[in-house]
Amino acid sequence: MDETQNKEQANSTHKIGIYLWIWGLLFVLSFFSYMVDWFAFQGLLRWSLILVFMFLKAGLIMAFFMHLFWERYALVNVLLWPMTAIACFIALMAAEAQYTVFTRLLYFFIGG
Amino acid sequence: MSDEYNKQNTPIEAQSSETMSGSSGSTTDIDYVRPAELPEQDLYHGHSFITKWIFCQDAKVIGIQYFLTAVFTGIVGLILSWLMRLQLGFPDLVPFMTAEHYYQFVTMHGMIMVVYFLTALFLGGFGNYLIPLMVGARDMVFPYVNMVSFWMFFIAVCVLMASFFVPGGPTGAGWTLYPPQAILPGSPGSGMGIVLMLISLSLFVIGFTMGGLNYLITILQARTRGMTLMRMPLTIWGIFTATALAMLAFPALLVSCIMMTLDKLLETSFFMPAIVQAGEVLDYGGGSPVLFQHLFWFFGHPEVYIVALPAFGIVSDLISVHARKNIFGYRMMVWAIVGIGALSFFVWAHHMYVSGMNPWFGFFFATTTLIIAVPTALKVYNWIITLFRANIRMNTVMLFCLGFIVTFVNGGITGIFLGNVAVDIPLSDTYFVIAHFHMVMGIAPLMVIMGAVYHWFPLVTGRMLSEKLGKWHFWFTFLGAYSIYFPMHYLGFIGVPRRYFEMYDSPYVTSATGMNEFITVAALIVGASQFIFIYNIVTSLRLGKPAGKNPWKANSLEWLTSEVPPVHGNFGEKLPVVHRWPYDFNVPGAKEDYITQTTPPSEVINAEVEKT
Amino acid sequence: MSDNTLNNLPDGFKGMSHDMSSDQTAFKGVQWGKVMMWIFLLSDTFIFSCFLISYMKGRASTVVDWPNTSQVFSLHVGDVPVPLLLIAIMTFVLITSSGTMALAVKFGYEKNRKMCAWLILATAIGGLTFVGMQAFEWSKLIHEGVRPWENPFGAKQFGSFFFMITGFHGTHVSIGVIFLFIFARKTFRGDFDTGKRGYFTTMKSNYVAIEILGLYWHFVDLVWVFIFAFFYLW
Repeated sequence: MDETQNKEQANSTHKIGIYLWIWGLLFVLSFFSYMVDWFAFQGLLRWSLILVFMFLKAGLIMAFFMHLFWERYALVNVLLWPMTAIACFIALMAAEAQYTVFTRLLYFFIGG
Repeated sequence: MSDEYNKQNTPIEAQSSETMSGSSGSTTDIDYVRPAELPEQDLYHGHSFITKWIFCQDAKVIGIQYFLTAVFTGIVGLILSWLMRLQLGFPDLVPFMTAEHYYQFVTMHGMIMVVYFLTALFLGGFGNYLIPLMVGARDMVFPYVNMVSFWMFFIAVCVLMASFFVPGGPTGAGWTLYPPQAILPGSPGSGMGIVLMLISLSLFVIGFTMGGLNYLITILQARTRGMTLMRMPLTIWGIFTATALAMLAFPALLVSCIMMTLDKLLETSFFMPAIVQAGEVLDYGGGSPVLFQHLFWFFGHPEVYIVALPAFGIVSDLISVHARKNIFGYRMMVWAIVGIGALSFFVWAHHMYVSGMNPWFGFFFATTTLIIAVPTALKVYNWIITLFRANIRMNTVMLFCLGFIVTFVNGGITGIFLGNVAVDIPLSDTYFVIAHFHMVMGIAPLMVIMGAVYHWFPLVTGRMLSEKLGKWHFWFTFLGAYSIYFPMHYLGFIGVPRRYFEMYDSPYVTSATGMNEFITVAALIVGASQFIFIYNIVTSLRLGKPAGKNPWKANSLEWLTSEVPPVHGNFGEKLPVVHRWPYDFNVPGAKEDYITQTTPPSEVINAEVEKT
Repeated sequence: MSDNTLNNLPDGFKGMSHDMSSDQTAFKGVQWGKVMMWIFLLSDTFIFSCFLISYMKGRASTVVDWPNTSQVFSLHVGDVPVPLLLIAIMTFVLITSSGTMALAVKFGYEKNRKMCAWLILATAIGGLTFVGMQAFEWSKLIHEGVRPWENPFGAKQFGSFFFMITGFHGTHVSIGVIFLFIFARKTFRGDFDTGKRGYFTTMKSNYVAIEILGLYWHFVDLVWVFIFAFFYLW
């Protein structure tokens, strides 16, 4: 196992700059997403900005702080493919929520 | 650690060559296997009774502990099913049977059998015992956590059993625990019963996660030299994929348990809509019961395959060994297992066609459900082709395997009925559904469990089980189980609803009464015949024929340990080195009808073995 | 394509098929404990996803108004209400602690024991600050009348989901803080240099353990990114 550590170590020694960069970027991105609320953007703009900043931050943390960028593809793929199940779950639950609110409005307010 | 590693690594680096085929380049040795990447695992050897047998870190002992605990809960589940059947066949015969008790028994029977019996038995029992042995590891990678896993499971079982003795009794909400009724006073056990059930399930999930991580990582990161993924026995593939499913599906169960506990204890309204109960408006409002059903079945459908996939894997190995023939289409079998596992996360709402979910979902889920039938059917064909013109040993193990194929095909076909929305809607909540899932995930996996016990008992104890008693046991179980569930399809077609305590004067009574009585008698006989099995096990422990090494002439590593039964550390001084898949039976040109996984190619130079 | 050394393995998808078809390990050169933590985090991701999906379903299907989070979570500086001020500070603290943890892992692998230990300690203190601020936020909301079962600003589910999700995340942070303190002590004592055996597990200590703990800590931060976006900003 030490071989790995040596490799990791070799990588890490070169990378203090990278860590500090990512750290800085995370602060900047967090500041930006806070600004989304500060300027009270609404509608599609707000949602897309929130999502973009969120995914950028999540990606940076996973890729560099959690070292996923330097891991071999075997591990990366094993970790990322199961997310398709979550993506499917999210999509279907979004559709389900639309239907639920539709039936609620229909029966509670309009009268079925 | 580092020295040892470098010593192994440096000389090899020098000769880096194309050794994939084993024949080209500088290494001409056909027996060449890559050197070890990892140092030997250092094991904690127990030195007192407590560390050897109770808080034991040996996966084999943990496996047996899981097995016995699961069988104990299984027997409780069996007795509950007897009581239910007695009520259905002969109403008012059991004096203490009220509608409340009936529902409690239905619920506990379902939950026990699915989660605490089958899941724990396949993954906790067989998984713990077989994974390190079959992949050639000395133990699980993290034995301490593995030990804690069993004790969490044990506590979960204790909490579950405790719910029988609290005021109001255990929950009677059905094993799916659908809110809002599960936590409202109208259903039995809605006080402490449901709370204990939810706590027990949460503990089970936590405990199982600890074990499951061990199973996965042992298979992925601790195989022996030469053991590639495509040389693993299908048993390991089944258990591996099932565990992977469990790691991703149990979170949904845990979340729904937490949310329902909060609904019950803190009166949050995650799943609870506005409710008027006995003229009184409750504090609940705005929640969504369908959300629970989605979360539950996002867990629940993979759970079906958590039970089925290990059974698929194990039965493939049993068939291959006892038909003395390599499994047909090994790679297809592996990809079918993986494919079924992946697809199982996209089919959950076929359990919810009548729940009032978004009606468009029926289209999506019926499609995915029918797609999942393709890899499943591939597996069935491959089992049958494996048997085709094979040198079959008609022993108890093989009988159970054949029983599995028959019951599984039967249950699978009714599954195709139920997967289609238009057919499902009239059949929902009838005995047809009961017949379907008992065939496919009750009887079929049980057949495999029993076959597996007859197969591996000699390994675990060093003695054979009695074949004569085994055959009696098989025929009682197989024919009996068929006479229970086959008529139920008919009951379902005439519309007899499930989960009804009594039929009273409904129009079904005349046509269903006789059949219900017949089913009940069959159920009693099948249940009782399991005691033949238990008797067989208990007597064979001391009086069985000594098995010796490798009595079935199998190829996989668990039979090649230094001692039988294997001791802590599994293998002797040196770990085995694997040269081939475990299915080299009746290879043309070989001296014997089997070539073990550790036989190097130079010893069977004339045999036409598969390249794996 | 040499299959007998961990150096010079092929990269990319070719490397993936090589690793997956080889014997012994599927993730070449990754210590088993690290894989175990990764798979555990994958499982944990599913837990948090289920929580957030439930929250999405609950919020998207409510017919009662959802409270305006930027008002509910505002703090008064002097007389001026600043939206989400506390949450912004909490995010800042958690990201800071994530950064110190990343550096701790780096110094750990360099066997720089002192630096590593101080950074772990800094991470632990950051985590503790976060939990403290969360406790403050909870008590503020409770003072304003928000409960798991009711909410004066609108939909009942707001309170329920808020306390449940942040509570579950806070539990993760707290567990992480406990382990961070334990690991800080172990590092100061030099357990990872001497390979001292663990008290419970009887396994030898190794600096890989710090990376494993780091993975957990970064995951906690990662979850907060999602909670921050979905619960506070959305």
